[in-house]
Amino acid sequence: MGVAITLRGLSHTYRTSDGPLTVLGGLDLDVTDGGYAAVTGPSGAGKTTLLSLLGGLEQPQKGKIEVGGLDLTELSGDGLAAYRRATVGFVFQHFGLLETLTAAQNVELAGTLNGATPAERRARALHLLDAVGLADRAGHRPSRLSGGERQRVAIARALVNQPKLLLADEPTGNLDDDSAAMVIELLEAVRHEHRCTLVLVTHHRDLAARAEQHVALDRGRPVATPV
Amino acid sequence: MRWRDAAAMAATSIRRRFGRSILTVAAVALAATLLTALVTIAGTARTKVLSELSKGGPLSGITVAAAEVDPTQVDTDDPRPGPPKDLDDRVRNRIQALPEVKTVLPIVAAVINAVPAEPPASAEILGRLPPIPSTVATTTTGAPSTTVSTAPRPTIPGVTTPGPFAETMVGIELERASLMPITILSGRLPVPHSLTEVAVTQGYLTRMGLTKKQAAAVVGTEVQLGAPRVFTDSGQPRRFRSRWQRLTIVGVVAQETAPGQFLVSLEQARAARAWTASGSEVEGRLQIPTSPYSGLFVIAQDLERVNKVRNEITQLGYSTSAPENLVASVQRYLRVVEIVLGAIGAIALVIASLGIANALLAAVRERRREIGVLKAIGARDRDVQRVFLFEAGVLGLVGGTVGTAGGFATALGVSAVVNQYLTAQGLAGVRLGLPLTVLVSAVVGSTLLALAAGAMPARRAARLPAREAMEAA
Repeated sequence: MGVAITLRGLSHTYRTSDGPLTVLGGLDLDVTDGGYAAVTGPSGAGKTTLLSLLGGLEQPQKGKIEVGGLDLTELSGDGLAAYRRATVGFVFQHFGLLETLTAAQNVELAGTLNGATPAERRARALHLLDAVGLADRAGHRPSRLSGGERQRVAIARALVNQPKLLLADEPTGNLDDDSAAMVIELLEAVRHEHRCTLVLVTHHRDLAARAEQHVALDRGRPVATPV
Repeated sequence: MRWRDAAAMAATSIRRRFGRSILTVAAVALAATLLTALVTIAGTARTKVLSELSKGGPLSGITVAAAEVDPTQVDTDDPRPGPPKDLDDRVRNRIQALPEVKTVLPIVAAVINAVPAEPPASAEILGRLPPIPSTVATTTTGAPSTTVSTAPRPTIPGVTTPGPFAETMVGIELERASLMPITILSGRLPVPHSLTEVAVTQGYLTRMGLTKKQAAAVVGTEVQLGAPRVFTDSGQPRRFRSRWQRLTIVGVVAQETAPGQFLVSLEQARAARAWTASGSEVEGRLQIPTSPYSGLFVIAQDLERVNKVRNEITQLGYSTSAPENLVASVQRYLRVVEIVLGAIGAIALVIASLGIANALLAAVRERRREIGVLKAIGARDRDVQRVFLFEAGVLGLVGGTVGTAGGFATALGVSAVVNQYLTAQGLAGVRLGLPLTVLVSAVVGSTLLALAAGAMPARRAARLPAREAMEAA
């Protein structure tokens, strides 16, 4: 099962050397349980900040975020870490794989943090790598994988703890067209199979068009209605 | 994250940054080597110096003379004894009963004539023995001794063997000789209760024209020792006869138990003394001290109680000597040396730990993205901190262990060189024990210092905002 997302008046400001920089200004958004939302916008529009707040990587400064009925504004420290472990799966533009670990070890890592036994997480990692078509690359380090393969490993890792919310930050940003298409199809398939909520940040309007809901941001405010 | 998983991640990180890890470990190892070597050598030197002060006996040893106390000398380490005063079993038991006394070792001295090894002693030689002086000189400690100058006789090739001479044999409980101020220079001590073995001192070597370096030359040779006795028949002049025994020299020692060039079993000395003490008539007997024991060697429970025990024995009326003031003074200087050497090693270790901190800070900078990823997939601050602390701890533990082993090996090497020198000088070598406390402390200290050095980088890594770490990506 996925989770419903509710944002109300979400604002976030960064301090910069040139003064405060507001990247989200009173954003309201609803994503249904198991929904698929795409967020687009130019650089600095607040896409990554939105994803970061949804993923519990930082605390919102103003406004309210509810994910599956859980108010993230009330969480901090270990609470947010537990939320990330139990609810969220991240897929990053730069894959976020640890170069010191093999593909299987990277996938296992999330299970390690969740307290799974070595045998359990090993089995789960191999199963997920098989599911993304990389069973034969389990022992390879990221440096020996192509961009598309790395991103598939990252997706497998994101699925280890059976997340209810899958957050993908420009997952095709560093990929060629074929690999990008494969990754998007994989994410959508995963969403269907795991029935999780998917929020995808992308620069590509054609990819955003595949989502059930399209949020276009500019300077932290929605500029278009969802598709 | 479980500790085991954190350890595995730290181990992976160390393996992947092998070059830097090796350099960091090497710095810790070198520092630990320096610390261990300095402290071990300083400790051994301390033992050696104190051993020299105590002449091989325990530092808490007290020599009790069969003499009264000289009131003006009470507070000195080596007082001049007063008039002779008998030391018997009653006094020995009273001293043994003192609560601060660990043990009491008896010393019996006996006047003897000695005939050094030279082709087997013959009747002709026995007949040419010089008479024992009728009045025996008393040494400052009250022990009897005699000196008779004799013309050297050429005997052993290359060595001048003296003729028969008068000396003193010192009898001790050989089974407890290790507790007495005796240092073996060559060979070994006679076996306990032996009536056929003797150890000689450097004075004996000097008589032979030998130096301390040549001590081994006399081991295995024989010497005849004769306890003199006076016989007086009515109307006849006094005659001297001796109870001769042929003894094998089994070792050369430096001994401070009592003046005398022959160290034998207590039984041997008692028998000789008893023979001499008994004469045909009182007037004709040799004038030897009447005390059954020429001295006692008392061992206090520890160095701090030496003064109290000496006072108690003084109250019993006996003169005592012990290097307590000298030892205390030397110990203070040695402690200063140890502190300085330990500080040098500790400074090296602190510098090495700064290296660990620097390496880990660099690692935190390099691994911002990795830390961010860990946090994004659910790592808590303390999980991240744990990984970095493990890494620091492993670097410290490995470096400390390697360095401590290296330090001990260095100390062994140094002691081998020192022993070579000491042996060449005819001195007893140093024995490097296994200073377990030093070794364990060095390893544990290195690890703890590394953990302390890693604490700040680990905290910095743990506090790295997850979002900021993602920006680094």
